[in-house]
Amino acid sequence: MNNRKYNIYFNTHTISGIIICAILYVMFFAGSFSFFKDDLASWQKNESYSSNQAVVKKDFNYILDSLAKHHTLKGRDFDLTLQRHQTGVYVSMTASHDPIVQKLKKPKKKPEGRRGRGRGRGGDDDSAFFTYDFSKQQEADYASSYTIGEFLYRLHFLAQLNQVFPFRIGVPFGYMLAGIVSFIFLFALITGLLLHWDKLVSNFFTFRPWSKRKTIWTDLHTVLGVIGFPYQLVFAVTGIVLIFNSFLIIPYTKLFYKGNEEKIYQDLGYGVKSEFAYANKPLSTPFDINRLVTQTEQKWQRSDISLIAIRNYGDVNMHVVIQGKPHTDAQLNGQGELIFRMRDQTILAERTPLAAPSYTQTVRGLIYHLHFGDFGGRPLQVIYFVLGILGCIVINSGVMIWLVARDNKNIPARKRTFNFWTANVYISSSLSMLPVTAFTMIVLLLLNKPGQSDIYHWFFYSWLALGVYFLVRKDLALVNRQSIFLSMVTCFLLPVADGLLRGNWFWNTFNREAYNILFIDVLFLCLSLVSGVILWKLEQKKRTQSSSVQLNDRVGQLGVA
Amino acid sequence: MPANKKYLTKSPWIKLSKLLAGSVGGYLVTVSFHAALTRIFPKEYVMVTSFITGYLLWATLLLVAYLIPQAWKTWAIYVVLIGICSGVYFI
Repeated sequence: MNNRKYNIYFNTHTISGIIICAILYVMFFAGSFSFFKDDLASWQKNESYSSNQAVVKKDFNYILDSLAKHHTLKGRDFDLTLQRHQTGVYVSMTASHDPIVQKLKKPKKKPEGRRGRGRGRGGDDDSAFFTYDFSKQQEADYASSYTIGEFLYRLHFLAQLNQVFPFRIGVPFGYMLAGIVSFIFLFALITGLLLHWDKLVSNFFTFRPWSKRKTIWTDLHTVLGVIGFPYQLVFAVTGIVLIFNSFLIIPYTKLFYKGNEEKIYQDLGYGVKSEFAYANKPLSTPFDINRLVTQTEQKWQRSDISLIAIRNYGDVNMHVVIQGKPHTDAQLNGQGELIFRMRDQTILAERTPLAAPSYTQTVRGLIYHLHFGDFGGRPLQVIYFVLGILGCIVINSGVMIWLVARDNKNIPARKRTFNFWTANVYISSSLSMLPVTAFTMIVLLLLNKPGQSDIYHWFFYSWLALGVYFLVRKDLALVNRQSIFLSMVTCFLLPVADGLLRGNWFWNTFNREAYNILFIDVLFLCLSLVSGVILWKLEQKKRTQSSSVQLNDRVGQLGVA
Repeated sequence: MPANKKYLTKSPWIKLSKLLAGSVGGYLVTVSFHAALTRIFPKEYVMVTSFITGYLLWATLLLVAYLIPQAWKTWAIYVVLIGICSGVYFI
């Protein structure tokens, strides 16, 4: 590699990295905890899925019957999308194809007839969209079923920033920002790898923790960056695809489908591809959706039903399409589909979930599973979590290298002040995240039925307070020590508070097989222990070095060096 | 140690030109390249493959724009590539 190339890799890597560091840290931190989204949810609600293995009965007929109280169902299409590993179903009901029902709906437009979260398209004012919870047998209320797990999950793709502008910009701002940051991250990964290419092997075995500060960060950044590279590359690419694939979907829709968005998603295997014409003749045979679903469930072993689509309800040409996905331990990818015609009770087409998946299903499935890490059970989730946290350390050490490299006497004081404040803002806001998360979770234990706004307030205000406190101390080493200390204390208090307030001591949750809750308590105890060990090591090192500390080795503090 | 300035572009306009060539130009090359591929392979397959290859190609082209010393050369190469790919797609 010649000098020119090396310096170009270096410069592009530095600049792209420093632009995205703060947001990328938030995404990695919150994303790592999102692997335990369901566990965090059951921890907060004190309901463990593993202890409560009673099978929740899924009554689809009941949903249709209760919809029939407010709507004429004849001629409508329904999509019932089942949530993975959860007891909810997302219901979407279109307007009717029936000309009589279409006319009928106009005079009686009761306000309670419209339900859901306003995702209806313009014109379809008779449609309905909502989430139904089978375990509670009622429509799920999003704000009250919001948990810290959901919060961190949504934070990791910046959903909270979607409403940041008071006007509409055409796309959800938070998602777009998350997509752009992922792309710049991908760019930084490629330049970073090329930068180290020549010395990849030798640098990998270099670790000089007790020499100069800069070398610690450099070695840390290089070694962890190389170990984590495949993982991070996977997350950069799958992350863009999952959150902001519009980069490609929009031109493809324009080029290949003349702007028909529904068609492109059908071709990519979303939803139901087959179309069924409306015959406008009433169906005489009775039908039972529940029985059909149960039959299919029995036939499709080691799989879960993912979608039940009803077309032309109550019409001679009424069809039910059932789709299912295999359990990941049976087969990683695949999609089963069964098309059932109601009038003569026949299966028109069937493909089991365990049949060999199509190319499209395989690629899409890989992107999904690699990102969510749901194919190897608990051990894989923990490995993913650790690799994610290592990613945070790579980002942090990168910023420190950047700062230290610019902290010498031949750089003008104004620039150095600016650099220091950039690093200060970054380090203060990122290192305060762990104590703030643990603190918010402890507060949630004390509140009565905390909802979405409680989580927002406690998390963001405590983050702001701690971040500002760290900022004004103007000392990165102090921020480091204090944030580790606070992490140790809050992460330790979390399982203790859970034990004191709810009796969820480790042995109790273990005995009643509430493993989800036990896991979160143990996780935070481990985080507390790790913080404690780091703090102890720091203090030890400080004591041995306190006599020999030289002022010009103390960077990250304004005014010295 | 920051990168050695000796090897980097100095003029802000050329810097901007390179950034635009790499991001916008690279993006158009990516899209037109995959569009051209649909003439050979089924478009569903090309689309779903491009979810992975598309972003990798785009990021690489962004880097290539910085590696080519003259910004106008990058523009020229990318415009030719876009021309060839969209030619294959539309004809």
